[in-house]
Amino acid sequence: MNDIIRTEGLGKYFGEMAAVHEVTLSLKEGLFTSIIGPNGAGKTTLINLLSGYLLPDRGRIFFRGTDVTRMRPDKRVKMGISRSFQVMNIFPRLTVFQNILLPVLSRLNKNSRPLASLRSQKEVVAEAEKTLQEVWLQEEKDSPAGELSHGDQRLLELGIAVASNPQLCFLDEPSSGMNPIERIKVLELVKKLSAERKTTFAIVEHDMDVVFSLSDWIVVMNRGEILAEGKPTEIRDNQEVRDIYLGEEI
Amino acid sequence: MKKTLAILSLIVLLFLLPLFAGKYILYMTIHIMLLSLFSLGFNLLFGYTGLLSFGQAGFYAAGAYGCAKILLAFPSLLVGIIGGVAVAGVASFLLGILCIRHTRIYFSMLTLSFGMMIFSLAWKWRDMTGGDDGLVGIPRAPLEIPGLIRLNMTSMENYYYVVLVFSLLAIFLFHRIVHSPMGLTFQGIRDSETRTACVGISVRNYRLISFTIAGMYAGLAGALLPPLESTVTPPVAHWSYSAEPVLATLLGGIYTFPGPIVGAFLFYVLKDIIVRFTQYWLICLGAIVLVLVLGFRGGVVSIFYGKGGQG
Repeated sequence: MNDIIRTEGLGKYFGEMAAVHEVTLSLKEGLFTSIIGPNGAGKTTLINLLSGYLLPDRGRIFFRGTDVTRMRPDKRVKMGISRSFQVMNIFPRLTVFQNILLPVLSRLNKNSRPLASLRSQKEVVAEAEKTLQEVWLQEEKDSPAGELSHGDQRLLELGIAVASNPQLCFLDEPSSGMNPIERIKVLELVKKLSAERKTTFAIVEHDMDVVFSLSDWIVVMNRGEILAEGKPTEIRDNQEVRDIYLGEEI
Repeated sequence: MKKTLAILSLIVLLFLLPLFAGKYILYMTIHIMLLSLFSLGFNLLFGYTGLLSFGQAGFYAAGAYGCAKILLAFPSLLVGIIGGVAVAGVASFLLGILCIRHTRIYFSMLTLSFGMMIFSLAWKWRDMTGGDDGLVGIPRAPLEIPGLIRLNMTSMENYYYVVLVFSLLAIFLFHRIVHSPMGLTFQGIRDSETRTACVGISVRNYRLISFTIAGMYAGLAGALLPPLESTVTPPVAHWSYSAEPVLATLLGGIYTFPGPIVGAFLFYVLKDIIVRFTQYWLICLGAIVLVLVLGFRGGVVSIFYGKGGQG
């Protein structure tokens, strides 16, 4: 299986604190990967580095063999890397439909048209409609995004992340703040989108039942470093991971 | 349908205005149109792109001085106006490259600083700008397209029609821009620049486009001023002049398309009424803005669009 993204000795330091230290990692194309670890382990920082939201102090990042270490986030999206955020990050004053339109316009390079009517962009509108259906928000199409329920806003953020049709999509706690039933539904939706869109997903998630049931590959982080990685059964049996993070209940 | 009818009626009324209104009403209507254009540009930056500029008067002055210099050298109204807009466009593009690297208060302070630098230039560069005397004796040159048309502009009525046509075209263009994919991109940046970058859009490029367009709208408003007043003086570049589109936009409605136009109308009408009673008209106007901002956060237009609604 091909590496979709690979890092070599990646490091990010905030003063004395190593948020990410010497991370050498490769994510395989097509594998549903979960990044887990205790709070402060460096999971979100790692996603921020891989998506270009933060620049590393050390190391290199390769996406499909191309060095993207210093590349801006918008350029990485154009290459096929997308993401969602741990703290809700949508366009609250825009309608739900407009929230989805923006990434579609961007992917099709149609957002630089100053005089075109939005309604006349038939291809864009059709794609945005399809994405809305995929994330179950068709009925909320014309609602201001900021007025949606928390769960629907999470779905919308997922919709924004996949609307740019990424090859690799990072989801940072996509089900945070949801009840257990919603959480399972959302993560199953992610798995479904992964299969239908042929997108490789890497998620940060704290619900270990969900992580172990859905993931093909698990990366465990602790104190900014990779503690272990492997198939769910291997991680479950890893004594060090159990001691530091999982405990004995898994 | 009702909305279209109302807009058409208003346009017809504006075209018929010289038939029954006196010179003062025409003069004031021209100023309302200029402030509308100025405020529309400001609102593209603030209401649509989320960047609060306190330096738009600098570009207004660039348009005014640019047009005035051209008219003094080459008496053609069309060339003067287009030249003024071009000067403001170049100035806003160049300063925009520096300003859009920052956001929030840092952006505001940078625009304020650059605006005041333009004011200082207007004040000190006597050879070019006439210093504190300004440029005087600017002709209201004829509107001429060689081989096609030549309209004399000596009467206020004729110049009113020129301003009206330019304003309507600019307002129509503005409507297209804010309802286009580019307009949606500006609004995305306003709502969340990080999210916008993470859907594949270069935030800096679009901020620069927005800044330049806003500067050109300020420049157009400025370029239409010298033929009306026959003079341009440095106060048009002062930061306090930048406050006028801010007040007009707050009065009318920040996130709406017609807000700045309605606000410009209210600004001049209120000012005209208040100055009849007191010279401290700004205190009264400030109090009114305060009440409106507290009562209608989306401006007067929000009464029709709903609170904070977008038009």
